[in-house]
This record gives sequence, C-alpha cells and structure tokens, in this order.
Amino acid sequence: MDDVLTSMAVFWALMLLTYFLMQNGLSIFNDVAKSMGMFMLEKALGPGIDLVEGRPGSASKAWIMQGLLWLLAASTLTFEGLWMMHDPLALHSLSAWGYSPTSGSLLYAGNYAVLYGGIGMLLIGAGLHILPRLARTELASEKNAALVSFLWTISVLVLVIGAHDSEVLGINIIFMGTVMHVVAFLAIITNQLLTVSKRQGALAIPGWLIIFGLLADPVATVAIFVSGSVETGVGQWLLGHMVGGTFFFASAAGIALYASSSSTGNPLWSKSLAAAVLVGSIATINPMGEIDGRMAADMLGLNFGELHVTSEDNLVAAFLMALATIPIMALAANVLITLRGGDAFVENADSAGIPELNLGASMLLPLAIGSLFIQSDAFAATPEFSGLAGTLMLMGIWLILVPFSLGAALHLFPTVTGRHLLSRNRARWAFWMMAGGAFLGLTVTMMADMIDMALIEATVEDPSSLSGDLRVVGAVLFYGTAVGAVMHSLNAVSGLFRGARVDSVRDTSSSISPESYSLASPTSVRRILAGGANLDTTVVPVGESDDAGSATEL
Amino acid sequence: MSEGNSEAVGEFLQGEKEPASSWIILALGLVTALSLLVLHSILYPGRELPVISEILPVFEGVFDSGIWFFILGVMLGAFAIIATMLTEATSE
Repeated sequence: MDDVLTSMAVFWALMLLTYFLMQNGLSIFNDVAKSMGMFMLEKALGPGIDLVEGRPGSASKAWIMQGLLWLLAASTLTFEGLWMMHDPLALHSLSAWGYSPTSGSLLYAGNYAVLYGGIGMLLIGAGLHILPRLARTELASEKNAALVSFLWTISVLVLVIGAHDSEVLGINIIFMGTVMHVVAFLAIITNQLLTVSKRQGALAIPGWLIIFGLLADPVATVAIFVSGSVETGVGQWLLGHMVGGTFFFASAAGIALYASSSSTGNPLWSKSLAAAVLVGSIATINPMGEIDGRMAADMLGLNFGELHVTSEDNLVAAFLMALATIPIMALAANVLITLRGGDAFVENADSAGIPELNLGASMLLPLAIGSLFIQSDAFAATPEFSGLAGTLMLMGIWLILVPFSLGAALHLFPTVTGRHLLSRNRARWAFWMMAGGAFLGLTVTMMADMIDMALIEATVEDPSSLSGDLRVVGAVLFYGTAVGAVMHSLNAVSGLFRGARVDSVRDTSSSISPESYSLASPTSVRRILAGGANLDTTVVPVGESDDAGSATEL
Repeated sequence: MSEGNSEAVGEFLQGEKEPASSWIILALGLVTALSLLVLHSILYPGRELPVISEILPVFEGVFDSGIWFFILGVMLGAFAIIATMLTEATSE
C-alpha cells in the first residue's frame, strides 16, 4: 500500500476543501458559526477571560515574550544534551533528586522546548499581529489569544517533562501535553479564522501562508488518520514532515516575507515566488526534520513504528521532497532580495531582527539540500548518514526556524508593544552570540559525528578522544545561543518598560548625517537616502563637462 | 542659615547620576579581599579558611563536571531576567 501518496492526496483534498470554505463561507450557517466561535472564545470561559487585558497588541506581546523565554530554556537543554554526548555522567549528582537525564532525553526535551515553546510561540505571536493588519481589521478576541498563551506554555512544559519520562504514575505525560496543546491551538485557529472572515479586501500571500500554516497542522493529522497510516512508521514520519513543512515552514515563510518588506520599506520582490512558497509548502514534503516519526508517535500516544519504506513510498517521498526545493529556493530568494531592495537598504541594516532574517534565508538552501540527502539515505535498507541526522535537524531548527521567527518578532516588537527594544547594540551582540554559537557549535558537533561514523564503518571499537574533545568544543560554542537568548530576553523585558517610545524621535546608530549631498550623476532617491542623507540634507547638483581635467586652483 | 534650609538638609537625597569612577572602589575592595585571603594562607600555612572550608565540602560530588559552570551561567541569566522584570515593574 502506498501510504505516502494516499496520505498526501487526502491532505491535499482537505486543504482544498478548507480553502473553498474560507473563501465561500458556510452558507446559511455562517452567522451561527461566527457567533458560536466568538462565544466559545470569550463568554464561555466565564470570569477566566477577565484575567488578561484586551488592549490591542496584548496577545501578540504575551506570545512573543513567552517565546523569548522558551528560547533560553531550549538552548540550555540542547547545550546540556550536546555536552552529555561526550560526558554522560556530567549531571549524575542530580540523580539524588530523582532526575537522571541522558543526552538523548535532554536533546528531545530541547526540541519540544524550541519547536513548540520558542519557535511556535514566536510564530503565533507574530501571526496574531500580522494577520489582522493584512486583513485590515482587528483580532477577533485579543483577550482569548492572550489567555491561551499561558495554556500553551503549560502544555510545552508538560511536553518537556514528558520527553524525559513519558509515563508518570501510569499517565502518558506527552499525550496529556498534546491534549492541552490541541485546545490552545484550536482556540488560536478559531480566533484567526474569525479575524480573516472580517477581512476588508483580498488577503496578501503572507497572510495566506500564516493561516494555512495554522490550519494544515490539524488537517495533516486528520489526513494521516483517515488514510489509516498513523500506526506505521512511514505515516508517523510523514506526519512529522507535513507539520514541519506547514505549521513551521509555511508560518515562518509568511512572517519572514512580511517582516522583510515592512522592516526595510521595500515592496515584496516577487508575488509569484511568494505564491510558489504557498503552494509548494502544501503540495510537497519538506525534507528538513527527523528521519523517523518518533515525535509524532509520542505526541499522539501511539507506539513508535519502525520506518519500513516500500519502493513506491520511497519513489513518491523522494520526488515530493525534491520538489520542495522550489518553495525553499523561492522563499530564500524572495526574502534576500526584498531585504536588499533594488539597490540598498533605506533603513539601518543593523535594525533588530533584520540580521536574523538574513541568516535564516541564507541558510535555507544549503541545509535543505543536506536534509534531502540525509532523508533519502534514511529510506535505504542500510542508511549510512543517519549519524548526521540529529545534528542536521538541530541546524535546521537553530539556523533557519529560530532566526526567522525571532527576527520577525524582534522587528515587530516596537509596533506590538509601543516601545523599542532597550538597546539596538545589545540586540546586535545577542544576534552574533546566537548565530555564531549555533553555527559554529553545531558544525563542530557534526565534525564529531563524522568521526564517529568513520570509526563505526572501520569497526574500531575504542571511542576516539578527538571526537569527544570536538563534542565538548561544540557544546561550549553552542552555549553562545543560551547567552544570546539571555541578552535578547533582557533587552525585550527592559524595552517593555524603558525602551524609547515608538512615537518619539529615536537616534539611529549612525552619526553620519551630511548637510549636503553632491549629485554628480542621475540617481534614485533611495540611493541618496541610503548614502546617509536625510530629509534636511541639501542635494547639490555638480556640473559635469567633457573638458580635460586640470589642477584645482587654490 | 534660614529655617527653611535646615529642613532641606535633614532630608535624604538619592543621587541619580552614577559617577564613572565608582567601579574603582568596588574593584579595589575585591582586590583587597583576595589579597587578605592570600595573606591568610601565608600567615597560617596549612590552615584552612574558617567557614568557607566547612561549606565547600558540601558541594563535593555535586559540581564535579565542567558543565556546572555553564549551568550556573544560565541560572545567573535566568535570575537576571526575573530580577529585571521585578525591578522594572516596581520602579517609578
């Protein structure tokens, strides 16, 4: 049975149905559904809904701030996991308190923390701000979205605990976390759908990416259940990649495209490429992610199925993963060229968030191609590159998804909170700490992976000290992400209270403000502004002639 | 001196501007403390420091890996975030 094609066909059909319903409504049930949705979001919660404020932007602020804090927890867990790959007894003293983590459990918990805590919360937080703006309306329920952020945080906390020990007192902890996660997720989807239903005009493509990213997560799960492949290893692997390609990739693409344009003042470079990202993220299988479906199986409370791939499944999956190169290239090109504009930045290129977006877009293609090779190899009878899969997945998370979600959140911070980050300089330092730590740390860890793979292939039994040393160096370098997360969090927290108000004049980091600008040849206003001129600068045309030059008279 | 002025002198005044050289006092204090610790080991060779020598063995077997230095750094960062939240929220 061809599990991959059947599941994807059901998924495509359900997504088309979803799109049709969003465009045409529910006919006579439209008003009833909207009223019922609003009732469920606010009145049905009773006095609980009054626990949070409903000011515009409060929901987005709550999600973004919690997402930043989760990044710190995630980077710490991942750092510890990387360290303990070489030194498994590093935290043995904690066993006296009943906590005996392993490298695997820490990395697994770190993945939950970063995917659903850090990236997920930043994506949803940014989406809660962007989608109403693109729909030219207001968020359906600001209060509910703010309240649900705390339920989401609790669900991630439960998932992180479950990653260490999935059963406590006979209760499946990860599944319990999933149930809470689903409740929060449905509330956000309902909220955003109600917002989109009030749209005043056509929704721009980044908006569609955000709403499809949200919807595709439950739709993919339903599709896998309907196709009957949820118990199989292939079905679980596919579900992980469908969620990765839609909720994470499509949502990140939506907010990255929006932020790349709004942060620079440049119009989105290509509408066609944005559309290719939208269609491609749903029609193809994103190769970035795990080489098995463990996370999907654990979250659904199912037994983990071994990956036995038939030749038909192999063919379809490899083809659809290769096709995913199209939306990935389209996104990278669109973000990078939009950031640069026709010629140069108008805004300061060091504005918080822009370097992160630049990094994420730059790393997209190389990591996607690397993942394509690893995933294709994983389908073979005797995989040879599986030793690299874990580190490559971490690279995809920390060098693509985190930069995209964090970059967009940092860019939106002033608009959402009404205040700038406390220090642009600190944001720049935090970027270098996070980017450098993740890139160098994971590259060195991958080098250690390669040494281990070579030794296993050569059937050498003694572990290499060089590999161990590299792992320690990799972990120490990765620690930069934790330091960067602390700096970003401090910058944001202080910015909430003491950051310059958005409506006040703010000094830029550049002190260059020429009083006059010599215009020697025809050029664009953008280039003049990019050269450091401001609105008070006098543009002085300089005469040109074809006469031979001579010495300047003093 | 007028009566009004004498009332003003009795009030506590908190300086808002931190002098740039105040950190020198802190650095001097730290260096002096370390010097005194070194002096203790010279004057009383072989004798352990009071109090500290009794506390440190409690942590033997706990912080026995380099990872703890990094974890302490993260804990400091986390506490710094919490402290910033509290101080920013309660400041004027």
